[in-house]
Amino acid sequence: MPTIALTLTLNGKQVSAEVEPNTLLVDFLREGRGLTGTHVGCDTSQCGACVVLAGGRSVKSCTMFAFETEGLEVVTIEGLAPAVVGGELHPMQAAFREHHGLQCGFCTPGMVLSAVDLVRRHPNPDEAQVRHWLEGNICRCTGYHNIVKAVQAGGGGGS
Amino acid sequence: MTQARELTIVGHPAPRVEGFEKVTGSAKYVADIPAPGALAGKILRSPYAHARILRIDTARAEALRGVWAVVTAEDTLRRGWGAFVQDQMALATDKVRYVGDEVAAVAAVDEDTARAAIDLIEVSYEELPAVFDTESAMADGAPQIHDQYERNTVITIAVERGDVEKAFAESDVIVEDTFESQHQWHAPLETIGSVAEYSPSGKYTIYMNTQTLFMARGRIAWVLGVSEADVRIIQTEVGGGFGGKSCDDNNAIIAALLARKSGRSVRIINTREEEFMAGSRPRVPMRVWVKIGFSRDGRIRAKQMRIVADNGAYSGKAPAIMGVSAFRHETSYKYSDTKTEAHLVYTNKIPTGAFRGFGNPSADWAVEQLLDIGAKALGMDPLELLRLNAVEPGYVSPHGNRVEGCELKQCIDLVEEKMDWKTKWAAKTPNRGVGIACTVHVSGKRHFMDYDGGSATIKMNEDGKVYILSGEGEIGQGANTVFCQIAAEELGVKLSDVSISRADTDLTTFCLGAFGSRLTYVGGNAVKAAATALREQLFEAAAEMLETEPRKLTARDGEILDVGAETSVSTATVARARLFRRGGAPLVATGAFDADSVMQDVTRYGNESGAYNFGAQAAEVEVDTETGQVKIRSYVSVADCGTVVNPIGAVGQVTGSLAQGIGYALTEHLEFDNGRPVDPNYHGYKIPCIADMPPLEYAFADSYEPSGPFGAKGLGELGSDPTAACIGNAIFDAVGIRIKTLPITPEKVLALLRERDARQA
Repeated sequence: MPTIALTLTLNGKQVSAEVEPNTLLVDFLREGRGLTGTHVGCDTSQCGACVVLAGGRSVKSCTMFAFETEGLEVVTIEGLAPAVVGGELHPMQAAFREHHGLQCGFCTPGMVLSAVDLVRRHPNPDEAQVRHWLEGNICRCTGYHNIVKAVQAGGGGGS
Repeated sequence: MTQARELTIVGHPAPRVEGFEKVTGSAKYVADIPAPGALAGKILRSPYAHARILRIDTARAEALRGVWAVVTAEDTLRRGWGAFVQDQMALATDKVRYVGDEVAAVAAVDEDTARAAIDLIEVSYEELPAVFDTESAMADGAPQIHDQYERNTVITIAVERGDVEKAFAESDVIVEDTFESQHQWHAPLETIGSVAEYSPSGKYTIYMNTQTLFMARGRIAWVLGVSEADVRIIQTEVGGGFGGKSCDDNNAIIAALLARKSGRSVRIINTREEEFMAGSRPRVPMRVWVKIGFSRDGRIRAKQMRIVADNGAYSGKAPAIMGVSAFRHETSYKYSDTKTEAHLVYTNKIPTGAFRGFGNPSADWAVEQLLDIGAKALGMDPLELLRLNAVEPGYVSPHGNRVEGCELKQCIDLVEEKMDWKTKWAAKTPNRGVGIACTVHVSGKRHFMDYDGGSATIKMNEDGKVYILSGEGEIGQGANTVFCQIAAEELGVKLSDVSISRADTDLTTFCLGAFGSRLTYVGGNAVKAAATALREQLFEAAAEMLETEPRKLTARDGEILDVGAETSVSTATVARARLFRRGGAPLVATGAFDADSVMQDVTRYGNESGAYNFGAQAAEVEVDTETGQVKIRSYVSVADCGTVVNPIGAVGQVTGSLAQGIGYALTEHLEFDNGRPVDPNYHGYKIPCIADMPPLEYAFADSYEPSGPFGAKGLGELGSDPTAACIGNAIFDAVGIRIKTLPITPEKVLALLRERDARQA
């Protein structure tokens, strides 16, 4: 299969790669770049575990080809707080940890990145906005109660 | 409800000890484990629900470039395996018994090659008649799924305690009905997977997302025909279990077979479709007929029950699950005379198994609705009926369960208050109603190898920080955080100075793993015992240094104090002094705990658990009579789990189990066509999303379990047990219809509303 030359900004760094036309973004990230914080829960765009930010929007990376990110800035969970070694978490990450907005943690990266997109658009979201926005991110552990609290706290609206 | 001393860590909210890894994406799940050169494994599954295998030809698959190994039953010992009945094969030998049954597998350089090779394996089948429901399977002349079981019935339980006929004769009001429940899939966000390595020395190392490492090791060693020491299981981060990752499936065994044959590491991760078709073993569907007799005052006099349970093609844990459905309810309410008959029946469908609640939700769906029906017949408020019959400390069930710590009545009181039950029950607003239901669960259960115990090792490093080695296994529920809290509390060190290993069968002592709501209680008691033993060593060493006696010492935040003398020394100083000297030794201790329970006898009599936990719930629903939609307007869930070790984590257990209970009640159902799942993914199987959850209030009973660590007992499962019945009862109160098959879909609601209206017309 002929490959496509791809250049994008990935977690703040310019990256160039040759990708096959049918390479999914999630496979490019996980296998091509070793960014295994982006998870695969269903492969059918229903669960949201693979959400990343591309061009400032939250997208399901299992439903997007890698070549579609040409020229875009892509942020995965690993890049959300680049100075993370011994440093500060992103406020949304800190809120999920503090408010127990996670249990098994498998949905967490996608949930956090979706929530980051939400609060960029709607700072201090109310509960209804949180519940509406995160409909495409499934969690099987928490019952979502603490996730709502975490998103509101991480969005500046909570404690 | 007494606490010996003030607690500074247990009972206070603690963020997850692995929370940092989880929010930064650095937690390593099984698909993320680096395994250089690992091959991709793929499984060829049966397209038929029931067929004889005539011939398997793997030549073309083996010849494909990039294929390293192909395995079939030829590569196995043809040894049946299973938790209770050894009826499952690693790879099908003579027959396939459900759509998805494993027939052959391939290891290749990448997923695409492995998939292509699977398509090149030629299998000749002779299709056999199949049965998909228990009634057909038990009928005269039904196809035999396993040769040796008459009427496809693998287990029958028939037990009477007391004199049921007499007790019914003495009853003033008798009600009876039949209720059915469906498969429920765990559907954790992470599917089952494993990475297996094989060393030429004969040792297998398997990275698995299992929730029961040592049980997995025992079963895998048996199937492979090697000793336990030849199998090492290392638990990866686990993306949710709920019972589905308790090693009743073939994923890891097949990975091990492929690793041995190829000499390379092999990774097999179930696709979401495989997970529904043949991965985690879903909840056992049951048809439950139940009859209860009451005295005029509402006291339960007699209960009789007949259960037919759908085992699926192989047995897994269903034999034990059916036993729970048959008898556990008698530990919620005071019963004297009961009679139960239960049949576990093979069908040509996915094997069923352990799912949060383990038989309780299926039984509660029936019995907790019949109690509501009984209350109506008696003219009683159902809440009063449940409160009247609720068990109390000192109760012994007819099956020998001994209740000590118990605050079920307090749970009911709290539900009454938080739901504003009296007002809402009296209100009778059109199409709006309230329902209540209760449950009981064990905190660990003695049903494997006469052991209901746990163990842990704790070491203190030379910097005074503490490390726990535990083989129980964190699966997302928060057990490791609870263990760290218990150790920190007992040792008098800061929580941030305690860390914990992942479970590893070579490095940690034998533990049964995460099931039966046992980790806080059994695992926590073991951690506490280890911490107590370590503290004794620590205090002895510190006493020498402070020139005092160990009994005069206390510890807090890593400082060991002789309060009377106003002297102190840090744990780090003691640990160093103990180690770095002639004859030095590290501070390390192992603790063990085995619950005060007994193996039940053949009639399933005997106290099955060291402690029982309880719950009460109430739902307020509104039924849209145009669409049949049931809207939960508010929900109250109250748990008696003894001391709440980690309040913020406990809330997650309550809300998370409720979401699964609501899914079971209203939406979770997979369509099958001739044994084949029609749409096996999150689209065809609808679990609650964030917008589906109702406003929820929760509470924990003020409770103390005398045998628990700092008074704690189990919590994880009770929260989804009574939910379906609770919603069913609220629907009856709202519109006067009784749904008897799960899930409660708008179609079923509309059909019964039409019937109701026709009756009234």
